[in-house]
Amino acid sequence: MTRPTQQTINGPARPATDAVRVLAVGGEAGPGPLQSLRQWAADLSVELEWAADLPRATRLLAGGQWDLVLAVLGDRSDEELAWWVDALRGAPGGPRLIALADRPSMGLALRAEKLGVLDVLALPLQREALANAIARVRSAATEVALPLPTVVDADAHGHYALVGQSPAMLDVYKLMARVAHSTVTVLIQGESGTGKEVVARTIHQHGPAPGPFVAVNCAAIPENLLESELFGHEKGAFTGAVARKIGRFEQAGGGTLFLDEIADMSLSLQAKILRAVQEREIERVGGGESIPVTVRLIAATNRDLQEAIAQGRFREDLYYRLAVVTLQLPRLIDRGDDLLLLIGHFARQFGERYGKRIDALSDRALELLRNHQWVGNVRELRNVIERAAIVVSDGTLRSEHLPDELRAEEPGVPERSAGVLPTLAEAEARHITRVLSHTGGQIGAAAEILGIHRNTLTRKMKEYGL
Amino acid sequence: MRVEQAWRLLPNLEALVPLRGLLLSSARPDERVQWGSGGPYLTIGKRDVEPGELERSMGPVLAGVAEHIAALYKAYVEALERQERNDAPGAVTALVGAGRLEERVGRLSQARAWYEVALALAEALQDRRPEIDTLLAIGHVCLALGQYAEGARYYQRALVLSEAEFDQAGAVDASVGLGNAAFERAEWAGARAWYSRALRLTEAGNDRLRLGRITHRLGLLDRRQGDLTAAGENLRRARECFEGLDGGAALEMARVLDAQGELDAALGRPGPAAAAFREALAWVRRDQHDAGLDVTIRLHLAELLLDTGRWLEAEEEMRRAEQLAITSNQTRGLVQIYTLLGTLRGRQGDETGFVFFEQAIALCRALEGPLLDDARVYHAYGLFRQVCGGPDEARAYLERARGIFRSLGVDAEVERVEAALRSSHDVNTPAAGAG
Repeated sequence: MTRPTQQTINGPARPATDAVRVLAVGGEAGPGPLQSLRQWAADLSVELEWAADLPRATRLLAGGQWDLVLAVLGDRSDEELAWWVDALRGAPGGPRLIALADRPSMGLALRAEKLGVLDVLALPLQREALANAIARVRSAATEVALPLPTVVDADAHGHYALVGQSPAMLDVYKLMARVAHSTVTVLIQGESGTGKEVVARTIHQHGPAPGPFVAVNCAAIPENLLESELFGHEKGAFTGAVARKIGRFEQAGGGTLFLDEIADMSLSLQAKILRAVQEREIERVGGGESIPVTVRLIAATNRDLQEAIAQGRFREDLYYRLAVVTLQLPRLIDRGDDLLLLIGHFARQFGERYGKRIDALSDRALELLRNHQWVGNVRELRNVIERAAIVVSDGTLRSEHLPDELRAEEPGVPERSAGVLPTLAEAEARHITRVLSHTGGQIGAAAEILGIHRNTLTRKMKEYGL
Repeated sequence: MRVEQAWRLLPNLEALVPLRGLLLSSARPDERVQWGSGGPYLTIGKRDVEPGELERSMGPVLAGVAEHIAALYKAYVEALERQERNDAPGAVTALVGAGRLEERVGRLSQARAWYEVALALAEALQDRRPEIDTLLAIGHVCLALGQYAEGARYYQRALVLSEAEFDQAGAVDASVGLGNAAFERAEWAGARAWYSRALRLTEAGNDRLRLGRITHRLGLLDRRQGDLTAAGENLRRARECFEGLDGGAALEMARVLDAQGELDAALGRPGPAAAAFREALAWVRRDQHDAGLDVTIRLHLAELLLDTGRWLEAEEEMRRAEQLAITSNQTRGLVQIYTLLGTLRGRQGDETGFVFFEQAIALCRALEGPLLDDARVYHAYGLFRQVCGGPDEARAYLERARGIFRSLGVDAEVERVEAALRSSHDVNTPAAGAG
């Protein structure tokens, strides 16, 4: 539904010889562990400032642009690391962090990697290690600007735009066009953030039902309130029912009711939904009267409903009522160049919101965005671009505007100990961390991917301090 | 299993309070929910809890509980021994110590029970200093419980005794306590009189910590009264007092910077306000981390971002505060965070934001904390409902908030709620304004 305009230009690049501005934060006792740094500064073309403690460092960070922060971690290194990552988020200049610790553990190094910390170095600081890190900061500063595609489709505007022209999305559009003109019930399946609600809205907009589009997020609403949210309640039906409430089924009368994350509904509520779908009437909570309702139902889920049926968590009869037509949405990583179109679309959308003109993307930023796994799909991309739009200053989205987690995935970044091959344990620990990151910390899912028992994984996590 | 489901299986027994805390702190979000359409509405109730993980984490929690109870028992035994040795002041100190232990873990009503036992003993002594200390302790815990009038009565008694005993530090602390009680009830003139009295008594000595605390409170009072220049001056003085002080002053500094951030925000200076909040967070980290204060400062920062339309950043800050509140068991902080998240959704015109208020109300019920918290949630919920549908519900929540504020004697809040009720009435009866 959208077409990019293609052109490539070379934007201004920062000279690799520019002085790197470094803020060293050395704890209460003075510059001790960083003493040699002062001697190396001129030689490494580093402009060095030193802050004795966190409050002073915070003042200096707020007052100027920094490229790099060298922070000495104390006894509570994990907590301090998390604090630093938080403190540097959104700091002017987007400084990278190098954490320094007496004897950095493997767990600390892996956590740092996950948080996007540039490096963890052991104290006393070695000149070569610092020089390598500074070289990485310098190389990151050399980026080429590429123009962002202009989204030209008339439909691609507003919060609910459907953007994309990949073969996977074209298949979706074709099926949408077929179902839109009827009032048939549709089940939309797809991973989190693939745009299920956007598709549902588009089907409604192009459909025959003149009434409103009403969306209910079944995963968001507390279980004990979901029934009254859907069917409404009479005043005094339960504690907190301070007035009569018209439920979403009634609100959607003559239009479309979109039930998002339908698999999150309890079995008893599923039975009530089934009754409403079959008999086309509902009863308010605390009311005895049957109320006729005429709505088109579109349901969505990110779960495998067949599996939920097999496990007895989802009613089979309701599934067949809902899945008259099933639409499967593709993952963002399966949508090829749609990524670039979506970046362009969101850059324009958030540029307008924050009063900025964003028309270019650096080559390094594009590479990072292409290499990311996008577990949260389009919603995650949208968040990343919004965050970047807030901090961008010159119309070009660069790698420094992207979250640390993405920057940590930079390809070609040398391993921590350049030239030294990791031990088997280091490699294993790193891989476990990546898988855990992919599963959002879910041990069961991670064990499944790794092909080991969850107890074995728990033991290894403990062993590696993860 | 979802926390909201696990919670239903847990009876409301005092012995299980640490388990409830553990349930919260070990709850983790399901990644599918985080990035799913339910992600923006994720609350503690929608997080997952694993029985196995709960069991694994039980050891340290039970050890902590045992340690706390052992310390209480020990304090009690010490009180008995002192009493047997005719050392009643020592017995009072031991009992007050037990109360302080309870206060440290947030068991305020239990702390008060210890202090009351100590007070009964202290009242019979010839030496009045233990009684002064105990009265100050009860006054403090009453204010923390939102019992302002009662707290003021204890502070008043402490002041009278301190003056009779020429205990200047006691008189200063009692005056500050009386000022705080008046401040919380929006009795600005009374608060100023008490703080000024404390200031006069302190300026004679060289107690920089107390001086800093009083000027900090005066700064807060100036801001509430709208004198922003005087507020800035008092906060600057407070910072000067705390600069360079060792031991414990880092948290005082954090509080002053937090107040400075709020002042800058009121002056329409979001940049300096954000910088002050960030520095306050750094001070919180410097010595001993106070998670409750950390959460409070982050909430103020989030409010600033919310008021300047930086919604994404506001939400991120609230989510960081939420994570901290969950892992450090700051349930009251969670109530405030969800109230603010609901307010954010209200500004975005997002009706589903009601889930945050419902979660905050559920937490208030489970926590049985100060009624003031409940009132604040209902107030914000009423304002949300005014914007996002449900005028009847809006009125009902606002009336509930007004009732609680009125019962606590917080007149300034009653006025604010009444103003909201009037605007709600005007909206619903256009003819009234048309005549």
